[in-house]
Amino acid sequence: MVLKHLYELKELLVDKPTRRLVLAAAQDHFSLTSALKAAQDGFVEPILVGDKEAVQSIATQHNLDLSGVRMIHEPDTEMAVEIAVKMVRSNQADILMKGQVGTSSLLKAVLNKEWGLRSGALLSHFAIFEVEAYHKLIAVTDVAMNIAPNLQDKISIVNNSVGCLNKLGVEIPKVAVLGAVEMVSENMQATLDAALLSKMNQRDQIKHCIIDGPLAFDNAISLESAKHKGIRSEVAGDTDLLLMPDIEVGNVLYKSLVFFAHAGVAAVILGATAPIVLTSRSDSDQAKYYSILLAAAISKSE
Amino acid sequence: MITSLRQMADTVRSSGKCHKIAVAWAQDPNTIGSLNRAVSEGFAKALMIGRREQIIRICRETGADPDRFTIIEADNEKNAATLAVSMTLSGEADIVMKGLVGTDKFLRAVMDKERGLLPPKAVMSYVCAVEVPAYHKLLFITDTAVIPFPDLDQKVAMAEYAIAMAKKFGISRPSVALISASEKVSSHFPNTLDYSVMCKMAERGQISPCVMDGPVDLFLACDPVSVKIKNVDTPLAGDADILLFPSLESCNPFYKGLMLFGGGELAGMICGTSKPVVLMSRSESELSKYYCVALACLMAATKDVN
Repeated sequence: MVLKHLYELKELLVDKPTRRLVLAAAQDHFSLTSALKAAQDGFVEPILVGDKEAVQSIATQHNLDLSGVRMIHEPDTEMAVEIAVKMVRSNQADILMKGQVGTSSLLKAVLNKEWGLRSGALLSHFAIFEVEAYHKLIAVTDVAMNIAPNLQDKISIVNNSVGCLNKLGVEIPKVAVLGAVEMVSENMQATLDAALLSKMNQRDQIKHCIIDGPLAFDNAISLESAKHKGIRSEVAGDTDLLLMPDIEVGNVLYKSLVFFAHAGVAAVILGATAPIVLTSRSDSDQAKYYSILLAAAISKSE
Repeated sequence: MITSLRQMADTVRSSGKCHKIAVAWAQDPNTIGSLNRAVSEGFAKALMIGRREQIIRICRETGADPDRFTIIEADNEKNAATLAVSMTLSGEADIVMKGLVGTDKFLRAVMDKERGLLPPKAVMSYVCAVEVPAYHKLLFITDTAVIPFPDLDQKVAMAEYAIAMAKKFGISRPSVALISASEKVSSHFPNTLDYSVMCKMAERGQISPCVMDGPVDLFLACDPVSVKIKNVDTPLAGDADILLFPSLESCNPFYKGLMLFGGGELAGMICGTSKPVVLMSRSESELSKYYCVALACLMAATKDVN
């Protein structure tokens, strides 16, 4: 199955049980709005953990309907986060979403050894873009979390992302490992890692996907461009996932897709026992909404 | 295509070409013995640099006709090596060969920055063509003799030399197996990381046309049955032409094992130099020594065999 538009995420959720989304420190206008919208549309059942009064005042101010929404009052932010995380851990919620709390505080709770959501995998950021010029949705990782992943990190990031794409119906995702050029050069570590990831994939040490790299951005997304360079690749021109060499490249690509190419985007944090929605204020309402849908689409069905 | 060492020597012999070989410190029964057949078959002309009287005496002792050789007097081994190399550099000889001179002194002359045969930044390595009854074709193996622990660049150079040699034998797209203990990529085995990078380089056309795969073990490289049993998807399919080893200490015992226990013969030479350099172990068989000389003549010729 190949998705072309982010709204097709909705189709993936039809006939599936409604996922429970817990919003940690819910007294945040932006995340509250998108969570309630997704709830209205029937995709998630929200649980709000936070300062009840603050949440209600935001709701009144912005005309949000809280009727029938479950709320747990906890004015202390740290405690609210802990409660939210523990609810996911004890299977009372399927998705964790960040509210009025710093990213680092939320992740600290997620990584808590006693009651956190560690799965043994590295946490990584996974974004999926709808770009007019490309024939299907294209996933990009890691644009926001791992700064300078080494080979081992990259393997984990690929595994996280491939698992996610599998759940979205992309059975054997095509993974392009990005470099500045398609040639291997000892002076560019990204190209060496790319060669290693390719070979490990060939040897079934990284499964359920086809990896090729290094590929320059144009080779990865345009078959014509790859042919022009004489590259023979199963991935070139039909990439499902772009693996970034580091966070700078990833972040700039992410933002240039959004600002210059007016791409739609949905993003989640992978690698914990449940998907985490961690949107930032600068994300559009639509991006937040689709991020919740993405999390719902990949969260466990139990 | 040349499929045996004997055919290789026949090809050289019937080419009608005669290559001049400058021999450094030539008063050595081994060296004279190995050259005698090549010279009498007409594809080599030996310029014997060393002590004239001793050369003549050894020729007589070994049953070789000293008149077949051009003898050039030299007073010590260092001068003999320098002269042999400089004659090759200037084109008076096509090939340089080590005689009784110590390997280190000989290679120092070969590698001399101003009057040597090694281009700047070139990697010097050793490639052997091995014929062993248990394998269905010739095997080119590297590096048996020069680079102890090749890094990535050196491994790429080794592969290129072996590919170039295989092409001289008429194998247009040789299969190159990058040998390790298993086919898995692991940072615990750093050579497997280099191998992965090399495969991608070959895929991207950064290495001369070949079918390259590695890491693979020897079974996956040379035994189709094992490829089936292990179910590893490798284009080598147990039919490798070239075996590139991770170190001299793995490659050297491998080839010696083939010679000693496998009934093998070989033809080997130094690669990376601007002219062929013949250097061989004294303990090689007479036949292998003859093949080494023939191989140098094959490699000195400008055209590949079809």
